[in-house]
Amino acid sequence: MLRELHMMFARPLYLFASVGVMLLSTFFFLTLMKGGTAEKMPVAVVDLDQTSVSRRLIHEMQATPSVDIQLVTNSYPEARKAMQQGKIYGIFVIPEAFYSDLVAFKRPQLEFYVTNAYTVGGNTAYKQMLTMVNLTSGAFQREVLRKKGLPDDVIMHRIQPLSIEGHMVANPWGNYSVYLVSTILPGILGLICIMLTIFAIGFELKMRTSHAWLRAAGGNYTVAMIGKLIPYTLIYLVLGVGCHLILYRYAGFPVYGSHVRLMFGLLLFIFAMEALGITLIGLLPTLRDALSIGTFYAMLGFSLSGFTYPNMSMLAPVKALSYIEPLRHYYLIYVNEALMAAPIENSLPSMLALTAFMVASLCVAPRLHRALVYQNYPLK
Amino acid sequence: MWNAFIHEIRRIFTDSGVTVIFIVATLAYPLIYKAIYWNEQITDVPVAVVDLSNSPQSRSFLHQWSASPDVRLTHTCCSMAEAEQLLRDQKVHGIIYFPRDFAQQMADPLGQAHISLYCDMSSFLYMKAIYLSCNQVMLESMRNIQIDRYQNMGVGKEMAWALVQDAPYREVALFTPTGGYGSFLIPAVLMLILHQTLFFGICMLSGTAREENMDQYSFRSLVGRAAAYFVIYCGLASVLLGFLPRLFDIPHIGSIGDILLLIVPYLLAVIFFSMCVSVFIRNRESGLVLLVSSSLIFLFLAGISWPKEMIPEAWRYVSYIIPYTWGAHAFIHINSMGASLALVGKEYIALWILTGVYFVLACGLFYIRKRSKEVQEVRSEGVEELRSEGV
Repeated sequence: MLRELHMMFARPLYLFASVGVMLLSTFFFLTLMKGGTAEKMPVAVVDLDQTSVSRRLIHEMQATPSVDIQLVTNSYPEARKAMQQGKIYGIFVIPEAFYSDLVAFKRPQLEFYVTNAYTVGGNTAYKQMLTMVNLTSGAFQREVLRKKGLPDDVIMHRIQPLSIEGHMVANPWGNYSVYLVSTILPGILGLICIMLTIFAIGFELKMRTSHAWLRAAGGNYTVAMIGKLIPYTLIYLVLGVGCHLILYRYAGFPVYGSHVRLMFGLLLFIFAMEALGITLIGLLPTLRDALSIGTFYAMLGFSLSGFTYPNMSMLAPVKALSYIEPLRHYYLIYVNEALMAAPIENSLPSMLALTAFMVASLCVAPRLHRALVYQNYPLK
Repeated sequence: MWNAFIHEIRRIFTDSGVTVIFIVATLAYPLIYKAIYWNEQITDVPVAVVDLSNSPQSRSFLHQWSASPDVRLTHTCCSMAEAEQLLRDQKVHGIIYFPRDFAQQMADPLGQAHISLYCDMSSFLYMKAIYLSCNQVMLESMRNIQIDRYQNMGVGKEMAWALVQDAPYREVALFTPTGGYGSFLIPAVLMLILHQTLFFGICMLSGTAREENMDQYSFRSLVGRAAAYFVIYCGLASVLLGFLPRLFDIPHIGSIGDILLLIVPYLLAVIFFSMCVSVFIRNRESGLVLLVSSSLIFLFLAGISWPKEMIPEAWRYVSYIIPYTWGAHAFIHINSMGASLALVGKEYIALWILTGVYFVLACGLFYIRKRSKEVQEVRSEGVEELRSEGV
């Protein structure tokens, strides 16, 4: 272990790089989505009617806080171009003869166009468009009813006799940041764990220094392994606890269930990633190959864990693959503990799965031991 | 220069690690992402029903909703507690709740009926599927109630419709009618794959050269190497950006010519950007740390998943120096939204500016490295001489 500490500080680049990466990522993701909700997106209004009524309508929309009209034009192609340039996410069209049709009860048709080339931007623009339609569509009825002398709350019931109360379970603000960062940051930490672990062991193999390492441990593989990994594990644990505290104390992300079990899940995840690192370098005792595969493996975890695109919609073989991603299991624990406040039985399968990764790493021990002793692997 | 070009091509194909990154990873990654997002849409999200009103009205609502492909009403519960239990166990991802007075309120000419909808927020796509489809049904039944009520008041049907919905609307999803997740993400990922494999490969080659003390910093080697990467990646980028969207059947309404014209400054900007960074790389593996930390950050910084309008100004300025930011938006606008090259002029010019800036910067950095390396060599030779004289 002392030897490892010495080596660690002799080559501090990786260590600092890793800690630095974690700090930078934490800072980046926590500041990127300040507020965490996309309330409004720039849209365009195409006014083909060009009457005082349509202009007043546009003014009313502009005065609505949840609407952001960036462009008012009388040409649809111009608005479409603005969309293709990425300036706006939606186009609202007030048709020709809108006003005259309206007063003649001819029910002129409004149109709106949103782009799906950007998911969050497009969705937000879509909701905003619905607001704009309702502003337009309800206005007339409201006027008629008001002229009849009905009070406003009766009018409200009349106009909207049915309403949906939306409840966003465990994330009532619809905060995108809470949802995204809670899985991304542990994922990055996991990446660091797997890479540093592979590097720590692989570097000995690459430099052909594994004999000196074994000698320092009295020739005992287990002692050598434990000695080597203790300092790294300590760093991971500090980063893990730090990550947990920053997310759930400092940034105030909600945990409806047990903090302890969530943190325990994170620690299990860290160990699982470390164990996965050992397994990979054991199977492929070439530093470069193991590192590339390890990174690739861990990077796929972000998509396969199913926190952006749900697991239930993946093809069966892809779904099966997601089970060998530790991040998937951590995500499930996170959902159970932080969001659902579920009993421990719900998290147990995931916890067991993470433990399985540790057991698997023991299976490569004989092979890795042989590699350390005989150095029987290609160097480059 | 020609020699440097040939030399670099040979190095790329003799170094299995680099070949894997440049060729295999670049072609395999898109396939994997396509496989993950194969279904594009999420459909049949399981939802639990708690219907305390147990009325024809609520049943008709549910009947209409169950026709939507987005959701499947899998469980009928007697109480909220039971439904919450299902949500906790992740058997359902949403709950719809009709209160006891639902039917009465619907029947009351002045009443307002409420429905409560609970959405699992563990993935935003659940919420989108549940909420939007339910909203559609709600709007439709709402209009029907209104019409009925006006007609009961003696208003003619035509007139009632004019009152209820004086201006009906039509919604059109432009460019990507299905609104699928893969259609949105894969174009952005394709550009990121080009960016990151090139970035990592170049760092790896530089790191290896430096480990073997074979690194060269002449102007000729700079241009020759860049040309080697450019030639290889022109082919790869044409396949990824021109062919794969067609093969994958994701939106591809842009002109191939424009895409090819976009590839030129994008690759050049990425190449010189990577060569600037690679000057600081000492080891073969160091680039990996950069690769890992930068991939997600570049993706989010560019304002693709999280809209660029919602990114703090400081981060937005940072994003401007990354070629990916401009390249990704330009490609999405051309490929997925059918923009012409003229419409992405801003991004296109920005890529050429970045190419120029990074080229000059790379020349400068190469020159500094060359000088310091010469100084080192002179010094070590000097030491050798002193030693031999001393002995």
